[in-house]
Amino acid sequence: MAQDAAGAVGARLSPKLDEANLIRAVQRGDQDAFEQLVRAYDQSVLRLAVNLLRSQEDARDVFQEAFLRVFRSIDSFRFDCSFHTWLYRIVTNICLDYLRKRKVRKEEPAVVDTPEGPLDRMNDFEEEAAHADPERNLWNVQLGQRIEGALDGLTPRERMVFELRHYQGLRLRNIGEMLGTSEEAAKNCLFRATQKMRVVLGDFQ
Amino acid sequence: MNCESVTKLIPFYFYGELPPEEEDGLEQHLDACAACARQAESQRALSAALDRREIQPSAALLAECRHDLMRAVYRHEAPALRPAQPAAHWGRLGAWLPSLGAWRMPLGASALLALGFVTARLTAPGAAGPLNLATITPDVISSVRSVQPAHDGSQPGEVQIVLDETRRRVVSGQLNDSNIQRLMLAAAHDENNPGVRWQSVDLLKSHSDSSPVRELLLNRIAEDPNPGVRLKALDGLKTFTGDPEVRKVLAQVLVHDDNAGVRIAAVDALTAHADDDMVGFLQGVVQKEDNTYVRRRCVKALQDMNASVGTF
Repeated sequence: MAQDAAGAVGARLSPKLDEANLIRAVQRGDQDAFEQLVRAYDQSVLRLAVNLLRSQEDARDVFQEAFLRVFRSIDSFRFDCSFHTWLYRIVTNICLDYLRKRKVRKEEPAVVDTPEGPLDRMNDFEEEAAHADPERNLWNVQLGQRIEGALDGLTPRERMVFELRHYQGLRLRNIGEMLGTSEEAAKNCLFRATQKMRVVLGDFQ
Repeated sequence: MNCESVTKLIPFYFYGELPPEEEDGLEQHLDACAACARQAESQRALSAALDRREIQPSAALLAECRHDLMRAVYRHEAPALRPAQPAAHWGRLGAWLPSLGAWRMPLGASALLALGFVTARLTAPGAAGPLNLATITPDVISSVRSVQPAHDGSQPGEVQIVLDETRRRVVSGQLNDSNIQRLMLAAAHDENNPGVRWQSVDLLKSHSDSSPVRELLLNRIAEDPNPGVRLKALDGLKTFTGDPEVRKVLAQVLVHDDNAGVRIAAVDALTAHADDDMVGFLQGVVQKEDNTYVRRRCVKALQDMNASVGTF
């Protein structure tokens, strides 16, 4: 399972500049500091966007929009929460907008039909080595499709909470803080999400 | 703890979100209840299946995202220089472009003053061609040169104030009007006011097919002390990146400009055209350049040309 994002991020920050100093430098207009700050968090932001949206193009857009918002509004960051929480508020808001728009438009499934057969648009991503066993492969493909269906059945908010907890390894308390809600509400979202998925996946488990 | 409450707690147990005492109670129940143990196993299987679905974004995608972001930061933040933008922008740009500090607030007035000064020079006897000037308001801008007691013989307590007065005029016309263009070209060189230079370059760059404008843009790229102006001039030449003279200036900028944003814009413009003659130059940039994005761009250009990245 994913490691705790905040912990992993902390390890990537240069020991020369702690995060608060880095943020203050960005607030003074230091673009090198901004770049350093971005690099401390950008992998986890991109991973969240890619896994949540299952589209490289959308993930790129979210990445850029999120960090540009950070750049433009860093002056308003007052250290009353962690930078990680502040950044993820921005990222999750943008991602939720994307998910909500998709719910309305019902667009861009990861697997699309082409004249040459079904094409998984996520094939560009790094993947585990394929199993040699064809039967196992088929089972994996079917399971993958079932999982996508199960995730599509979640509300954007349930999907977000699940993604942050399962893949990003964040605590429910932090997730609640990022999403502007309570730990209890985040907990309810996670419960509903897991229940829905267990129902949909059923015999595949 | 009964089966109903355990069912609700299993997901949180799995994610380590239960307090220790609740966790202990749940584990005891699972040891004793086969039905709940199956549910816990189902949760574990679900999690394992979901783990297999996780995508790790490729290093190439991350690099592209970083590159696009920093380009956007360096290049697209420059329009915030416009004086019409809200005051909040000035703080950031003042820091980014340190030389702009002195002209933050009186920008509008000083821009007009500069234009007035240029107008006076261009309409002086001997200047080429009369300008069709639309003088709307003969505003007089005054500044106090000196204050002193009045001369002998004046009333007690009388003072003498010496004012310098400048007449403000508004000139309007089409950008393709040669007289207007001359004014703009002069304003783009106003060394006291980067705001006026930036605005002039921004307006003139849409006429970069005109030779004097192109020369101005090349001059500003190479000479302007303000990176915002240099970026704007560079932007105006993006359709001429195949021109040898333009490429020569861009290459100089790529090597000598101290602003990474300008170097990024220069390398993007240079590498927009495959040019085998650049191989040695780009290899040299890769060796010496500090900025990751510029280096990466050069490396990609070299790879696209099937050239080696390093020198041997």
